[in-house]
Amino acid sequence: MKKIRSRYIKDIAITVAILCLSFMFSLLFQYVFDVREHITTVFVFAVFLISFFTRGYIYGIIASLIGVLATNYAFTFPYFAFNFMISANLISAIVMIVISIFTSALVTRLKRQEAIKAESNQESMRANLLRAVSHDLRTPLTTIYASSTTLLENSTSLTESRKCRIIEGIKEDSEWLIRMVENLLSITRIDNGRVRIIKTPTVLEELVDSVILKFKKRYPAQEVDIVIPEEMVLVPMDAILIEQVLVNLLENAVQHAHDMTKLWLRVLASEDAVVFEVEDNGWGIEPKHLKHIFNGYLVQKETSADSQRKNAGIGLSVCAAIIKAHGGEITAENVKTGGALFRFTLNMEDADHDE
Amino acid sequence: MMNNKYKILLVEDDANISNLIAAMLEATGYQVLLAESCSMAKLLYSSYLPDLIILDLGLPDKDGMELLHFVRKSALTPVIVLSARTKEEDKVAALDSGANDYVTKPFGSAELLARVRTALRNHRFSSEEGRLPGGRFTLRDLEIHYEARQVFIQGQEIRLTQTEYNIVAFLSENAGKMMTYSAIIKAIWGSGAYDGSIKKLQVNMANIRKKFGAKPGEENYITNELGVGYRMNG
Repeated sequence: MKKIRSRYIKDIAITVAILCLSFMFSLLFQYVFDVREHITTVFVFAVFLISFFTRGYIYGIIASLIGVLATNYAFTFPYFAFNFMISANLISAIVMIVISIFTSALVTRLKRQEAIKAESNQESMRANLLRAVSHDLRTPLTTIYASSTTLLENSTSLTESRKCRIIEGIKEDSEWLIRMVENLLSITRIDNGRVRIIKTPTVLEELVDSVILKFKKRYPAQEVDIVIPEEMVLVPMDAILIEQVLVNLLENAVQHAHDMTKLWLRVLASEDAVVFEVEDNGWGIEPKHLKHIFNGYLVQKETSADSQRKNAGIGLSVCAAIIKAHGGEITAENVKTGGALFRFTLNMEDADHDE
Repeated sequence: MMNNKYKILLVEDDANISNLIAAMLEATGYQVLLAESCSMAKLLYSSYLPDLIILDLGLPDKDGMELLHFVRKSALTPVIVLSARTKEEDKVAALDSGANDYVTKPFGSAELLARVRTALRNHRFSSEEGRLPGGRFTLRDLEIHYEARQVFIQGQEIRLTQTEYNIVAFLSENAGKMMTYSAIIKAIWGSGAYDGSIKKLQVNMANIRKKFGAKPGEENYITNELGVGYRMNG
């Protein structure tokens, strides 16, 4: 509601400002340069601008009426009196109204086209992602398929230790597949019918607890230093999605940070926002990747068709999508001591955006 | 010995998964009854009265929830729901309809077997314990004396408020079972008190965790599942 009202106020302000300006220009023309013939043109231009910058037809039409009255009253003979008998005045009135209607129609159509274009961009991004993912799914599937057929067909000739290694491979690759599918599910959860995600107040400590338990199940050896506020903090979020983001960021560190020994998860809460930070003490992110790190999955796919699977995690792209859907922000940087720092912010207020 | 084994009814329509789970269960020493559909499961349930049911929700003839309702009409046989649905609402719906636990596909064998063991054990022992005079609950270093309404960890008494104690006691009486937010709220504040009580519950749980000395990411006595509820481990 608030936003709708502020939009009205903005549009009215634009209309009044442009009308005042054109009135001043007209006065300037008339009294300083003594030009009278082109006053109408100034108002026609004003009407065009107003229709362009406001929503809908109404402001343009009101502006044309005011413009007609103003020129009629102040700038055409007889001065400072209304007279609609002169046909020139009538014609300029009609011209202004027609221009305002056409401009508004044109602007509306332009805006609609832009929306369609943005939508098709998103559509093609999703198609690209799907293509890239399907490509990536084939490698682990090959391992699993080939391994199981090998085990079935050569069960007698294989040594126990070799069998074990093959089964390990199956396990590893299916774990990778599970993670991939979890990420994909997260994306569909965001896109589902384009409804805004549903935020529920979540206890920060419970979230972190759940994240660390999940992470430890996969990487029991990796210690995580946790810093969270002492007091209980409730943050509105889709907890399952934010959990995914944090698990992805921690996992990303384990897989990509070279020579990493320490991993930190910090949460700082203030009145109106909560900041989450995941930091490692590895080598950091290569500067040339820093820019594309959150859509790196797609960028990398385009440049090298057979890039290594490990580098191609869609994890970070998914993180960015989730945080964006929450109306938050995510950044990546290198810290001075080496190592990478991922930071994202969630807003505390649960205000409903009406867009 | 044959007749001494626990009977587990496995309701699953996917032959591969059902084979695998049956192999897992039999290797652990359980007797397995297999059903591929809801109607067959009802038949097997009525004639064999299994000790535990593992139930897949996506069945060819009917939703698995129907079997759950069917069983709960007459018995408290533990039911572990197996499903590919990952939404919290689905978990909450199954748990509120009387399922004891919920395992999401894909799962590992260790995870499923642990849940089976827990469900069987708690069904046999802990359910009446809380109501007996002098009844006690023990879980590792945690001890609850129901009559005195006291909670101890490593012999040290933990000072809980009345509400906090009620929550802990309720969870312990249902140890091993995931209790949804609404189930806990109903038990503690009564069925009329739903609105806004989730926050009350969250605040109380935060205090309990603190008094229990729980650190995020370290196994404690109570597990939380985001958007679903809490479980006293056991």
